[in-house]
Amino acid sequence: MFFLPGSFRDPNGGVFSDQNKIYRWISPRHEPHYRHLMDSGLYDKLVNKGWLIPHQEVKNEGFGLPPDYRVIEPEKISFISYPYEWSFGQYRDTAILTLKIQRLAMEHGMSLRDASAFNIQFHNGRVVFIDTTSFEILQPGRPWVAYGQFCRHFLAPLALMACDLRLGTMMQQYADGIPLDLAYRLLPLRMKIKSGLSIHLFFHGRSGNGKNAAPPQNSLAFSPAAFQGLINSLENTLKKLTVKRQVSTWENYYKSMIISDDYLLKKKEIITQWIKNIHPVYTWDLGANDATFSRIAAEYGLTVALDSDSLAVEWGYQKVCSENISNLLPLRMDLANPSPGLGWANEERTAWLNRPLPQLTLALALVHHLVIGNNLPLAELARFFSRISPQLIIEFIPKSDPKIREMLAFREDIFPEYHPAGFEEIFSVYFTIEEKQTIPHSERILYLMQRKTGME
Amino acid sequence: MNLFILYIDPGSGSFLFQLLIAGGLAVSFYFKKIRETLLKWFRAFFYSPDKPE
Repeated sequence: MFFLPGSFRDPNGGVFSDQNKIYRWISPRHEPHYRHLMDSGLYDKLVNKGWLIPHQEVKNEGFGLPPDYRVIEPEKISFISYPYEWSFGQYRDTAILTLKIQRLAMEHGMSLRDASAFNIQFHNGRVVFIDTTSFEILQPGRPWVAYGQFCRHFLAPLALMACDLRLGTMMQQYADGIPLDLAYRLLPLRMKIKSGLSIHLFFHGRSGNGKNAAPPQNSLAFSPAAFQGLINSLENTLKKLTVKRQVSTWENYYKSMIISDDYLLKKKEIITQWIKNIHPVYTWDLGANDATFSRIAAEYGLTVALDSDSLAVEWGYQKVCSENISNLLPLRMDLANPSPGLGWANEERTAWLNRPLPQLTLALALVHHLVIGNNLPLAELARFFSRISPQLIIEFIPKSDPKIREMLAFREDIFPEYHPAGFEEIFSVYFTIEEKQTIPHSERILYLMQRKTGME
Repeated sequence: MNLFILYIDPGSGSFLFQLLIAGGLAVSFYFKKIRETLLKWFRAFFYSPDKPE
């Protein structure tokens, strides 16, 4: 049995894994709340709507837990992602789901006792709440205990991302959400004057950053109408935040960057054929851009599309939503500086490469960014890819390509091994090259590789 | 039985601030309710399917 470090803070229920299954223990102290969740009909409604991860109750036997603890087995999430990896649209969907759940919980005499962005995941193409022990019996007259956390975890980062999507990475720095005074100070005037942000960030922050206001005892002053008004106000404030202008600017730029439609079409044909032969159940698309090629792999199994450009990820997510693609998860990740292990003892949030590794990796139009853009040696790159997956589809763009000529125009060419023969020789240490095709209408080469035995 | 959960930092709910703005929030909630009821009533009155064109 292994207790997952991300959940040790909660004395009422924690997550552990046993024989490759995920379980959640529930302490006797939390039992009345859990029973209310199940008996009030709230659990069924949440699960039927796809808002809460379903679970089944299992016998507390053989886990080494105290006998009066309850054990449940929630459905397993295939790939855990974190708020600092989400696009604006993904993040806003998680925030709105939290409020919807809170509203439904109130109708059933319950409330969320925390509103952490880490309580939400993407599962089968949908946002889903994963912390079954977050529900507590509503105490009439008591304000929302999770209000401060909601503002730090959702409202502050989303307001900042609405100004500049890159600010979403601030959640990596602040484990319990962005301090409200800091968030408000960073906002431009046009956002500072919005009434919702003034109330929930500025005045709220002035009252103690959503943290140090002591709860009054036996207070009955917070009416159900005020509670509903608070949720409505937060929802309205969130819905007014938008990134339309940022995304459309990027879209125009991206369209101008595509070298030719014929090249793209042929590249798609080759990759589709190779993926069809592989039938991957789980793929990572590194440097996925707007996830165009990830969608091919997503027809066969879960595909995580990673790109360092927040706008590309946002655009990819919008397409995933509009086309209802359930197997595709676009995320923001800088491959040269990926998500590290974070939180207490660096263990609460798992580092990118410690999460489940894929069967297939796509690395299309990526190598030149890492080698020429980041000075990473080809040998290091080959070793890195061999650690990730047994199969690899990788594109090599030679120095004669206009894009590479641009990159090398104002710098010294210190990459003598960067040519197709050098690339093949270095990658052949770790991989067997199974297929090789030059993409028509370009000099770019696609490779299908299989990792050699013992090179994991 | 005391069902108050102490897991969250007791101050983290910004209780005092919420109590301070409670009146305004309640008014906004009732205002929204009244507006929704009126709109529903108007729609039912002017766009009733039984109403002849």
